[in-house]
Amino acid sequence: MYWIIVELLNCFIKIYMIIIPPYLKPGDTIGLVCPSGYMPAEKYQTCIETLTEWGFKVVVGKTPGHQFHYFAGTDKERLNDLQHMMNNKKINTILCARGGYGMGRIIDKLDFSKFKHHPKWIIGFSDITVLHCHLFSNYNIASLHAPMAAAFNDGEFKNEYIQSLHEAMLGQKADYKTEGNILDQPGKAKGILVGGNLSLLVNVIGTPSDVKTKNKILFIEEVGEYIYAVDRMMYQLKRSGKLDNLKGLIIGRFSDMKDTSIPFGKTVEDAIKDLVKEYNYPVCFGFPVSHDKENYALKIGVKYKLIVDKGFVEVREV
Amino acid sequence: MNRKAFLSTVVPLASMATAFTNDKNPEKKFASKKIPPYLKKGDLIGITCPSGHISAEETQSAINKMNEWGFKICTDDTVGAVDFTFAGTDDERADGLQKMLDDPEIKAIMLGRGGYGAIRIIDKIDFTKFIKRPKWIIGFSDATVFHCHINHNFGIATLHSKMCNSFPDDFSLAEQTQIDSIDSIRQCLVGEKMKYLTGLNECNRYGDAIGPLVGGNLSIIQMLDGSISDLHTEGKILFIEDVDEYPYKIDGMLWNLKRSKRLDRLKGLIIGEFRMKPDDPGEVFGLNLYEMVMEKVKEYQYPVCFDFPVGHVKENYALKCGMEHKLSVTAGGTALECIG
Repeated sequence: MYWIIVELLNCFIKIYMIIIPPYLKPGDTIGLVCPSGYMPAEKYQTCIETLTEWGFKVVVGKTPGHQFHYFAGTDKERLNDLQHMMNNKKINTILCARGGYGMGRIIDKLDFSKFKHHPKWIIGFSDITVLHCHLFSNYNIASLHAPMAAAFNDGEFKNEYIQSLHEAMLGQKADYKTEGNILDQPGKAKGILVGGNLSLLVNVIGTPSDVKTKNKILFIEEVGEYIYAVDRMMYQLKRSGKLDNLKGLIIGRFSDMKDTSIPFGKTVEDAIKDLVKEYNYPVCFGFPVSHDKENYALKIGVKYKLIVDKGFVEVREV
Repeated sequence: MNRKAFLSTVVPLASMATAFTNDKNPEKKFASKKIPPYLKKGDLIGITCPSGHISAEETQSAINKMNEWGFKICTDDTVGAVDFTFAGTDDERADGLQKMLDDPEIKAIMLGRGGYGAIRIIDKIDFTKFIKRPKWIIGFSDATVFHCHINHNFGIATLHSKMCNSFPDDFSLAEQTQIDSIDSIRQCLVGEKMKYLTGLNECNRYGDAIGPLVGGNLSIIQMLDGSISDLHTEGKILFIEDVDEYPYKIDGMLWNLKRSKRLDRLKGLIIGEFRMKPDDPGEVFGLNLYEMVMEKVKEYQYPVCFDFPVGHVKENYALKCGMEHKLSVTAGGTALECIG
């Protein structure tokens, strides 16, 4: 009888309980890793200085500054570095210094058996979307979609987006208010937030890292793609049912979009608008989540309230 | 590999194959492959553009050639139509394809060109009449949407091959492989049994396989993930090709195939041409195509062949998607034979 109750309880926990890793206190240790692309050492110094100034200790893993062709080390080196940071109890949170490409190459080799019992915040975006999705869909563990090391450079370490990362680490509840966009679809929604980089969200469809979006608030952002390619990815989201039962949709920024020699004929925002106008849930455009400096920290797996009103958008952690 | 080792392109082996067989058991209609009727002299081929636009002049060479083959040709309003990158609005393109699918006089449909746009109209298409009266759909690249959708959902074979925009203006100046590739369309359409032989690539993994052939453009295959048009590969021979993508993007898409368990129960794998974008300066990916592929399939036993002449290149031979094929990869080279 006892085991049935335990099983049921586990089942219940798996379905309903989101695991929120412990927030940071001054004196805690942040591990810096590069699980994807190579990052030269000079690019993450300001980040380390800023984190230290915030009162954290920083442990730099073996991959930042290390290079194997495009990557910050071989698959094995990147895997081991991230695995070590995940398992090491002295590391309280993990900041991925850079995205790029490479997480998908190692994700299935990561061992989450210790991490799921001692979860910690994993911070990053872009290619790190794969890990965010994987953690949430397999282990119900929340993670932090936020600026990475390069965003601290060029005097930007004081900006409100880096500030939002600091506040998120400390467990402060975010309340982001921004201007609306003419394309916005008004409404209010409450739901668990999921999302990230569009290319990677579609890349994990059908894989063990795929995220169910039903009853969620979804956010997407993208960089450096052709408009037609974004349109294609949006069609994929739609045709795979990912847009059907959302509570709300946050369209971030689509930076450095490219067009083909024969123009696509629409801006990327207009193309997305065409695909989402049939839905009744609130949709906002141009929210500051992006590969540009405008990139608020967002907790994946955590409940938010989205308010889209005339000329006004609010994303508030509940 | 020695390109020239590609042997005399095709070996037509006798007999017109049996035409589309009537389906007496609707329960099994998705399991039993339906082959659209092969074409006879005088049959009508329709040209329509469900994706990117093409001018009427650019289709002329294809029209002339197919007339030469003894077919009549008709085109619709999407040929020459321009809506930015598209051959008309979504509704216009969907309407064009729909009419050709429904018209009993049209025995096969050749797409004008690829580009982008099939995904935007596929869900607007009503295949009811097409299922009752299948016909060959001819094209590649963006047309992979139709191949995957039709092969899987209706069990109807389609023809992955060059389209109107790949016919040279002047055949007398064209390379033999290009001429042969185009002629392989005719051979497929009239029901010749096709067998392609290609030379040895030292990265090949030897073996024999029999199974339905599926595949197409890798980017498009990924884009269909999770949708009703999704590619199913279990027990199949898969072929893939792509163009103008960065190596890291190709690697990511191959991981997508692997992680979505579509490489683990293949019968065989055919790697076509991948004309990739060069890496950006300072971002050298470090793995070549062979390494990218083999690291993902090393634990499986099925045959793998590289440099198969399918893709965005002059050598792009017509392949009947959804039909049973025999793949034989040996020290003597690769043979792919349609046995359906």
